[in-house]
Amino acid sequence: MEYRSQKIAHWYFKIALLLFVLQVIVGLWLAVNYSFTVPQWIVDKFSFATARAIHTNLLVLWMLLGFMGGTYYIVPEETGSEIFSPKLAWIQLVALVATGVVALIGFVFGWTQGRPLLEIPRPLDLVIVIGALIFLFNVGMTMIKAKKWTAIQGTLLGGMLFLALLYLFGIPFYKNAVIDWYYWWWVIHLWVEGAWELVTAAILAFVLIKLTGVERQVVEKWLYVELGLFLFTGIVGTGHHYYWIGAPSYWLWFGGIFSALEPLPILLMMIDTMMHVKQRKLKIKNPLTWTIAIGCAVLHMIGAGVLGFMHTLPQINYYTHGSQVTVSHGHLAFFGAYALLNLLIFYFAVPQLKGIKVYDDRRGKIGFWTMSTAMTLMAITFGIAGVIQAYVERVLGMGYMTAQSYMQLWFAVTLVLGVIFFIGLLFTVADLFTMRPAKAQK
Amino acid sequence: MTKKLAFWIFLAGTISSSALFLWLTLDTHRQVEVLANVDKLSERVVAGKRVFEKYNCNDCHTILGFGGYYAPDLTKVIRRIGEGGVQLIVKMPDKTFAGSRRKMPNQGLSDEEIGRLIAFFTWIGNIDNGDWPPQDSATRLSRKERRIVASTALSPGAAVFKAQGCMHCHALQKRGGTAGPPLDGIARRRSPKEIMHSVVNHADVDQDAAMKPRKDLSGTEVEAVTLFLANLK
Ligand code: HEC
Ligand code: HEC
Ligand code: HEM
Ligand code: HEM
Ligand SMILES: [Fe+2]
Repeated sequence: MEYRSQKIAHWYFKIALLLFVLQVIVGLWLAVNYSFTVPQWIVDKFSFATARAIHTNLLVLWMLLGFMGGTYYIVPEETGSEIFSPKLAWIQLVALVATGVVALIGFVFGWTQGRPLLEIPRPLDLVIVIGALIFLFNVGMTMIKAKKWTAIQGTLLGGMLFLALLYLFGIPFYKNAVIDWYYWWWVIHLWVEGAWELVTAAILAFVLIKLTGVERQVVEKWLYVELGLFLFTGIVGTGHHYYWIGAPSYWLWFGGIFSALEPLPILLMMIDTMMHVKQRKLKIKNPLTWTIAIGCAVLHMIGAGVLGFMHTLPQINYYTHGSQVTVSHGHLAFFGAYALLNLLIFYFAVPQLKGIKVYDDRRGKIGFWTMSTAMTLMAITFGIAGVIQAYVERVLGMGYMTAQSYMQLWFAVTLVLGVIFFIGLLFTVADLFTMRPAKAQK
Repeated sequence: MTKKLAFWIFLAGTISSSALFLWLTLDTHRQVEVLANVDKLSERVVAGKRVFEKYNCNDCHTILGFGGYYAPDLTKVIRRIGEGGVQLIVKMPDKTFAGSRRKMPNQGLSDEEIGRLIAFFTWIGNIDNGDWPPQDSATRLSRKERRIVASTALSPGAAVFKAQGCMHCHALQKRGGTAGPPLDGIARRRSPKEIMHSVVNHADVDQDAAMKPRKDLSGTEVEAVTLFLANLK
């Protein structure tokens, strides 16, 4: 750590980690709903729907807090100056966390916008927009005052600005459900396959430069190529969600072709991460941080690139759309790309924030490998359930509940894997909260 | 490749894709007017959409394939179980799914709210969405339907039973819904006359009947389906 104001990032990270734990606990409850019959009186008070809203909103909240904390950590080093106003960064953190907590409690009492993933009620959306504006202002002013521009900070700011703008499309009430879903995807798809990829690419580039000592010019050159490819394929690629919503049928072509190209930038990102690691000029001090960087690149590719590609063509999507196949992809993509990216920046920044050069990584290793293995296996079990569903419900036409009864075994295995994942998560979080220097090697 | 060239690749990729996307968005807005029957998008339909959102049905049920995957997709629910079916289930899910392994909350919707929901489901079921979902497709026959159609030479009643969505609430040989009782061997329990009454106006047979009267069926349809059921011994 070189700048005092970077310390704020630590609080963003800590809160993000706690919310992550809560998210997974609720995820386990969802899996219980699939495996067991929950009695009617519980369902009447706290239904699967409420729990799902909590699971997914916590996910988005903790990841955004992680990204923002990461930005507050990176920007001082990139610009060579303190953050414009640490006080604003605090206000923003308190505002966002308070909104999140109010929203989650509100869900339990039925206060909801009622649209999947965008359940946060409209009045609270306003607070979120204000929080995002404070963030953008604060980061933007830091850069303007420092008068130093790098491709990495430009990408971070641009990605965050794009992210905030897209959120606006999710706020209005649309009378026409078709148009509603059309813009719903501007938030969901253009986030995870657009804005968030920009932020990811920037953070990864920053960490790689610091860890490997590879020349900035080289890293930033590849950064531009990746951004170009991400946006070229990802923007029109939104069409892979417009096949069956009552939009014109040319989306089958545009969506199919452009989204089929979406794995290319992800592949490129994986290859250049590996290349930079191979051509490193610095010694490996903390092997776990490296492992996470490579794990992130690889699982990003498998979860988003490979599993996404498998159901993106309309001929396949007709049968898998809105089934457990989607859940399989959603989990591994989010975990591989964004959960691991957050963990990467945490494991990179926390030792520096604490002034530790070489950290003791025994618990962290157990955490990383347990979580990654469990989540990969969960993607497989969700995937098997999904293929059964596509065949029994959609091809054979045997009815929804009949199909579900053939999937029970795989839901049960998923629950067990979920518990294992949770244990890995506890190791990781405990490790990040109480990180210690490694004992000197003999 | 230089960094400058890389930067131009970035700009060109972003701008070309954005321009194409915005143009397609404009055109989609134009075409959706027709594809989604915007002329039938009445205030009542919009009110139904609000009810659907108010009770967060969408985090258990998908609609157009989006949402929670915990319960059946509702895009074509009217085609599957009819307005009466929706009315019955939404009014008392605790009773209709008492025997099911998965429950739906009873959120105490008023009849007016359910009426609005039905208007919304009716509208959305009629949009031209590429014939999705496959299990409710009117043109593609699933294997189960082909089997039934193949047997209609013997029994036109079976076709009515399928086409009128009876199977979404009643099971035959363990296949079908759980909202109503399985109808295997019903002829042992009920006379043909009772069966016919059950179909047309269930309240005649059973005071607390939950199944809505099916007055929409034609005379021949009722006869056919009664004959079919009366032979299930
Ligand atoms: C906690 C999750 C949950 C919520 C919330 C929920 N449902 Fe359900 N619903 C279910 C389940 C599970 C079934 C299927 C049960 C079965 O068939 O055994 C179902 C079945 C149905 C069916 C019958 C579908 C068919 O094809 O047979 C309709 C209609 C329905 N729900 C409407 C609604 C409406 C309207 C709302 C909102 C007011 C709603 N549901 C909220 C879980 C839920
Ligand atoms: C929305 C769900 C639903 C649909 C759709 C439905 N039923 Fe029913 N049906 C029920 C329920 C529930 C009962 C149990 C009695 C009651 O409470 O009404 C029942 C009872 C019956 C009975 C009497 C069974 C007995 O043991 O006495 C017959 C016969 C019957 N239905 C035939 C049909 C036919 C034929 C169709 C298609 C035209 C049909 N049902 C569609 C829900 C449904
Ligand atoms: C890191 C990047 C990605 C993340 C986090 C992600 C996440 C998700 C999530 C959560 C959904 C479900 C949304 C819902 O309906 O609730 C989804 C759907 C989908 N994703 Fe991705 N995704 C990513 C990248 C990709 C890529 C690169 C492709 C294609 C090559 C892809 C293809 C799809 C498709 C086709 C669907 C729709 C599934 C359906 O029809 O139900 N995704 N994604
Ligand atoms: C113990 C671990 C977990 C379990 C058991 C679990 C279980 C579930 C279940 C059952 C659903 C509901 C799917 C449905 O609608 O039917 C769900 C949704 C979701 N979960 Fe998890 N989850 C876990 C951890 C995670 C993690 C770590 C992430 C992200 C990194 C995540 C991301 C998501 C997403 C994005 C959705 C929405 C999926 C979609 O719309 O397709 N979950 N989860
Ligand atoms: Fe997408």
